[in-house]
Amino acid sequence: MLADALLLSLRVTALATVIILVAGTGLALLLARVRFPGRTLVELLVTLPLVLPPTVVGYYLLLALGRGSPLYDWLKIDILFTWWSAALASAVVGLPLMVQSARAGIASVDPTLEQAARTLGSPEWEVLWRITLPLARRSILAGLLLGSARALGEFGATLMVAGNIPGRTQTLPLAIYDAVQNRDWATANQMVLLLTLVSLVGLWAVRRIEAPRPIKGRQ
Amino acid sequence: MPPLLTVDIEKRLGGFSLQVSLHASPEVMVLFGPSGAGKTQTLHAIAGLTRPDAGEIALDGRVLFRRGRPGPAVWVPAHQRRIGYVFQDYALFPHMTALENVAYPLRGRGARQKALALLERMHLAHLAHRYPAELSGGQQQRVAIARALAVQPQVLLLDEPFSALDIPVRERLQGELLALQRDLGLVVLLVTHDLQDAFAVGHRLAVIYQGQVVQVGPVEEVFQRPANAEVAHALGIGNLFTAQVVSSTAEGLVLDWDGLLLEAPPHPLPVGHEVTAYIRPEEVKVLYPDRPLASAVRHNIVAGCVVRRRPGPQVHTLQVALENGETVEARFPAYSYIPLDLSPGKKVLLSLRREAIVIVQRAGRTRKALDLHG
Repeated sequence: MLADALLLSLRVTALATVIILVAGTGLALLLARVRFPGRTLVELLVTLPLVLPPTVVGYYLLLALGRGSPLYDWLKIDILFTWWSAALASAVVGLPLMVQSARAGIASVDPTLEQAARTLGSPEWEVLWRITLPLARRSILAGLLLGSARALGEFGATLMVAGNIPGRTQTLPLAIYDAVQNRDWATANQMVLLLTLVSLVGLWAVRRIEAPRPIKGRQ
Repeated sequence: MPPLLTVDIEKRLGGFSLQVSLHASPEVMVLFGPSGAGKTQTLHAIAGLTRPDAGEIALDGRVLFRRGRPGPAVWVPAHQRRIGYVFQDYALFPHMTALENVAYPLRGRGARQKALALLERMHLAHLAHRYPAELSGGQQQRVAIARALAVQPQVLLLDEPFSALDIPVRERLQGELLALQRDLGLVVLLVTHDLQDAFAVGHRLAVIYQGQVVQVGPVEEVFQRPANAEVAHALGIGNLFTAQVVSSTAEGLVLDWDGLLLEAPPHPLPVGHEVTAYIRPEEVKVLYPDRPLASAVRHNIVAGCVVRRRPGPQVHTLQVALENGETVEARFPAYSYIPLDLSPGKKVLLSLRREAIVIVQRAGRTRKALDLHG
């Protein structure tokens, strides 16, 4: 039970991390650098999972992914109650942490540096790749770690969209719930300890990334 | 030779409207004016960092921007313009070494070597592996210039390049910039609000005031003969006054400045005409009451009363109230007039040197004034 849940959790978190990285960086760039109508709305929607009960997020995902939804009609694939939907739910819940951190990091990059890169022959994608993202690197990494840690611990939304099928959609947090229900204290203890350790290491890494580095001073 | 760079642009920014027309050849042209006059906006438009509302920008026969003018609309994005831009705070990439900064626009195998050669040109090869935060202001600026030159530009734009540097560094860089311009045949447009910079490096001066180019010409000429009161004001010329012409002959003018009669050099102006004139504070001489007068100061002797004295390290400034109720400023080297007591309240005799009184046309008469001066 523990090994299955652990492996599944790793797989779900890995996919969620990829989604958070790509979607989060894109959204952070959009919110930090582009003025468009409805920006506030996008920002609110992205941040919403941070304050909504995960079951509500899960309910919305059920509506969005289930049979009869426009998305389902369009893609003709049913990912509900598979590990894919667990990864998606985890990503949605972890995304706000990533977007907030990455957005602040990107906004703090001096726009003059981007202008300088343009005068030096860089089209927009290159400005992004060689100037903006490298300079916001630490905030993006910190946000990604926080988002992944949140994704690893996701419970409510995952339960709603992926269920709690041992070996198929039962991630560590769900397995802990089951173990406690079944009064299997030994397994519960192991899993709780494992998650606590991983989260602690994650938080410590975020602190390391965000800590101001001593700038090599002028001679 | 036709001008290499022609700029003729209009842009509205809120309540402010920019309307700039410039032609530059390989030379250092100084864009001078108070802050907020539109100098940086002009550079941005040339570099392609902002899009004007209308106009045309062309470099060496290649149209970079055109809108609302005869011919097809053109917009060349900044990254395709190959115009060197040195930003006010240098805008060096903090995550790259000096060498990496300079090599940024370079591609291919020779990039490192080319970047190193450019750093050598700016006498910085020994600092190639330092990060910007490890360089002094003057060094950072030289890296910024080397980087701007890496795109092999025909035009180099510099925004307030010397404002953050101390005087010795500033003077050395000014010399280096002039040498670069000469060696590479560059069109250099340099924005400053400091007249010292304009005199030090400028071949020509374009005075920008409230979004418009109000006068263009050789630096000394613009300073000696501002086209109108706005230019004189923008140049920070003191002792500007309004007077009436009471006599105008081939020998000279006589002006009535609120009851004070002043002689001035000849100028084709009718009697009764109201003019704006000025005398630079350096040309206002304090007279020793007990010494014979030199011929240069024999005219326009006026009595006054010291209002204020502002000592400086090299020059002192004196404000004197005249009998007609106006105030003039005199500026003189710190070692002058030591025997005289020039403390506030003292009576003094001044000479407003006749040859130094400059007639300025008023705004709205710019064209005519320029024609008159030929």
